[in-house]
Amino acid sequence: MSQQLSIVGKPTPRIDAVERVTGRAKYTWDIQLPGMLYARVLRSPYAHARIVRIDTSRAEALPGVRAIITHENARARWHSGDTLHERLIFNNPVRYAGEPVAAVAAVDRHTAEDALELIEVEYEPLPFVLEAQDALRDDAPLVHEDGNVANGRPVVYERGDLAAGFAEADHIVEATYRSAYHNNAQMEPRVAIALWEGRNLTVWTTTQGVSNARRDIARDLGLPQSQVRVICQYAGGGFGNKNNNQDYDLMAAFLAKLTGRPVRLEFTRHDDFIGLHGRWSTEIHYRIGAKRDGTLTAIDFRAISNMGAYMKSTGMVANFELYTCPNVRAETTRVFTNRTTSANLRSPAYPQGFFAMEQTIDQLAYELGIDPLEMRLKNHTRLYQDRIPYTSNGLEACLREGAELFGWRESWRPPNSDPGPVKRGVGLGLGCYPAPLGLGSAIVRVNTDGSVQVLVGVVDIGTGAKTTMGMIAAEALGVPWSSIEVVNGDTTTTPFSIGESSSRTTVMTGWAVKAAAEHARQQLFELAAPLLEATPEELAARDNLIFVADDPARSIPLPQVASRAAEAIIGSATTNPELKDQARMSFAAHFAEVAVDTRTGLVRVLRYVAAHDSGQVINPLTGESQVQGGVLMGLSQALFEEMSWERRTGRPIKTGYHFAHVLTHLEAPPIQVHFVDVVDPYGPYGAKVLGEPPNTPVPGTIANAIFNAIGVRVREIPMTPDRVLAALRSEDA
Amino acid sequence: MTRAGKTSMLPASDTAPSAQGAAATARRVTAPGPRDCERRGAPAGREDKEDGMGEERAKRGVSRRSFLIGAGTSAAAAAAVGTGWLGLGTAAARPLPQAVPERGRSTIQLRVNGFTHTLEVEHRWTLLEVLRDKLGLTGTKLGCDRAECGACTVIMDGVTVYACSQLAVFADGAEITTIEGLARGDDLHPLQQAFAELDGGQCNYCIPGQIMAAKALLDRNPAPTLEEVREGLAGNLCRCANYLHIQEAVLHASRLLRGEATP
Repeated sequence: MSQQLSIVGKPTPRIDAVERVTGRAKYTWDIQLPGMLYARVLRSPYAHARIVRIDTSRAEALPGVRAIITHENARARWHSGDTLHERLIFNNPVRYAGEPVAAVAAVDRHTAEDALELIEVEYEPLPFVLEAQDALRDDAPLVHEDGNVANGRPVVYERGDLAAGFAEADHIVEATYRSAYHNNAQMEPRVAIALWEGRNLTVWTTTQGVSNARRDIARDLGLPQSQVRVICQYAGGGFGNKNNNQDYDLMAAFLAKLTGRPVRLEFTRHDDFIGLHGRWSTEIHYRIGAKRDGTLTAIDFRAISNMGAYMKSTGMVANFELYTCPNVRAETTRVFTNRTTSANLRSPAYPQGFFAMEQTIDQLAYELGIDPLEMRLKNHTRLYQDRIPYTSNGLEACLREGAELFGWRESWRPPNSDPGPVKRGVGLGLGCYPAPLGLGSAIVRVNTDGSVQVLVGVVDIGTGAKTTMGMIAAEALGVPWSSIEVVNGDTTTTPFSIGESSSRTTVMTGWAVKAAAEHARQQLFELAAPLLEATPEELAARDNLIFVADDPARSIPLPQVASRAAEAIIGSATTNPELKDQARMSFAAHFAEVAVDTRTGLVRVLRYVAAHDSGQVINPLTGESQVQGGVLMGLSQALFEEMSWERRTGRPIKTGYHFAHVLTHLEAPPIQVHFVDVVDPYGPYGAKVLGEPPNTPVPGTIANAIFNAIGVRVREIPMTPDRVLAALRSEDA
Repeated sequence: MTRAGKTSMLPASDTAPSAQGAAATARRVTAPGPRDCERRGAPAGREDKEDGMGEERAKRGVSRRSFLIGAGTSAAAAAAVGTGWLGLGTAAARPLPQAVPERGRSTIQLRVNGFTHTLEVEHRWTLLEVLRDKLGLTGTKLGCDRAECGACTVIMDGVTVYACSQLAVFADGAEITTIEGLARGDDLHPLQQAFAELDGGQCNYCIPGQIMAAKALLDRNPAPTLEEVREGLAGNLCRCANYLHIQEAVLHASRLLRGEATP
């Protein structure tokens, strides 16, 4: 399956590694403009309240304060903040504790903070609801006038005949699972710096996509896109929560307009935890039937997602994508509550969904006396939704090769084998993430000295996308890695990019980079053809040489050809490939060994194997980083992270890194990463997606290992010591 | 003014070779000028004409664009008063500040990456703010501003500290090394080389802090075990969770520094 490649597939340090390790890389938080004002946001302490009166006069009188905006003088719809309702940047009533009420611009951040204290807000508290189940009651307080269920009804998918499927089953397993809300907690706090120059607005912002941020800022402010420029060259993480534009972009634009000065609006870490979003919490119920030999006959799935106050993402929950089963039904109810809005966190719908699915499948396997590995090999997906062929499917290879690396057959023992008090166990779990094709755009410029600039709209939030884009261009052009420079993250100087979210950059923008490089290469071939006494169609390029494909001895250095051009050669491409009657998916199978202390309930992960099918991995060095990081993020979700709300006041608690229990150096076990040899027929050089698959199998894998260790299942994440102890004391034990 | 003791080339983002220059630069970028400070505590309602940007209109919320729409206040009855996030429980009872308290300022001297800076700072400014906003050393990152994440780790008098949680006045006279103090021009410190080669960071926002914590570790323990690296860096969070590559990079750097490995 391997291709003949010079650069793609070779471990390559990041193209901007030096800037990043020296502290010279300028993140948005590092941007300072002359005359810049600092802005801070006042937030509601009430989970649900009508704002009766806001008096900003004292704050305005504070020396150094330049402007204050509230719902009274700054009205703009934040379209991507709620896709169902009209959500403004400042809303009245406020629907969660932490919702913005006012923003102050002042000559420095301390003055802005002082001014927040001087704003008098009179609230009329309203009844609030925090739990999804409570919000579904007839007498529940309404978060929005049109009811607490998004669109008024659940989203339902079904195929086959569920009742017939259960009638066919020899064994049925039924269980309920819960997953907690947890915050994205990316390291760079949120910040936007807005500058008006005449009618043109420039916004430096921590975003995952300059193109979609520009589109959304323009729409929300009623400006043509051509008057808005968005810049973000380095972003300190995002994990989904910097998609589209953000309310702080709009607030900064308002304050900058009012003051005639550039305004830097900073969200504190506390603002970030309470004001914006993390992953939605869920309650998932499964009923699955199987024949004696393990063949699945029916899957009934019901999930309730707690969306918080606004509909900022889909709220869907992954379920049986990974399995073959003729009779299924999935029902997902998205519920509004007076909690902090939830939205995308790395593979938004997946890890909590597979936590439930993988445990239920595992339980079926154990109860039927089937090896959990065999259970997956037997039932894993062959066709998408049992109907549509995959472009490539390395799931079985992930299972077999991962099991081999892990030593599954040697390591597996019956549940609860150790006498204790510390008991060891092993578990496995599957994961996946869609890898669709789509719109991309790129410019590749070959300068007359043979150097190459790749212009792409991507923001490198840490995925290594700048490097990946450069590697694809170098491979397509046949130039050495050292010739490449990547210009990125500015809507004025670079073309459209889909945005670094939903794992789309490598495939969508990468496809365009390859096409743009090929467009430039064609122009080089036309210049080289007469020199090599050949036609352009006969030529190839590799290792900085242009040569006759059938007679490589007839060659000329590529820079020499470039130097003959009147000026830089420009290749460009906008691509939008489509798949017909096929599905593209990245797959993973994970294996873990854990030790559970039955006295304390503490779970320690001892070792981990992550086998992945992401098609051709463009850069295995940064690819390994992504998989290890994804596994550890999944581990953190599985064992530690949870934000909760105080029932009496409706205020979020356990905010900030310390209380969020984000995983540290000390809890990171060794992780072996394995990429199976799959080259997809689509995507640049056969690449599928890699950013989000790695955390999808983790909570399920860990939960199954815990079961194998102690012989009882923990059905709620995070699987904290108290929950492990509760499971040990339950009647299941 | 003390003249900086070095004539060698400056690290790229170090702004000025002399303390005098640094202080001048600091004044230019400092938002609250001395005039502004003196007027703190002045009677409410004074007008600061500094920028002449028609702020009187701005403050009254007069719209200039079609998207700035004025709206009347609601007339609903009040049930409670809140003045901010903290102190919610007592918000109704707490009196509002009647006057702005005087902000103390002091002149301090910092020696940063080998250069001496004399600066006038407000007592409430953190060391991190002074490094980043006044000296332009933005390599040291702000992550949490409350000593939870380690992105702002610098070495102060040989010990790692969270610069977000040190007041600048308390650092008076201290010797401070930041990430900008490691490389000399294009010559990377072995830790930086190792982090670049082995992909130590993903988004890399935490990496300056990780590297400074690692530097302090290697300064006191040139040949740490993996366990010692994990413990030495335990105060530095990485949300990309690139911990394994960070740990490898630190071990590799320790070998580079001891001459047991080549880049």
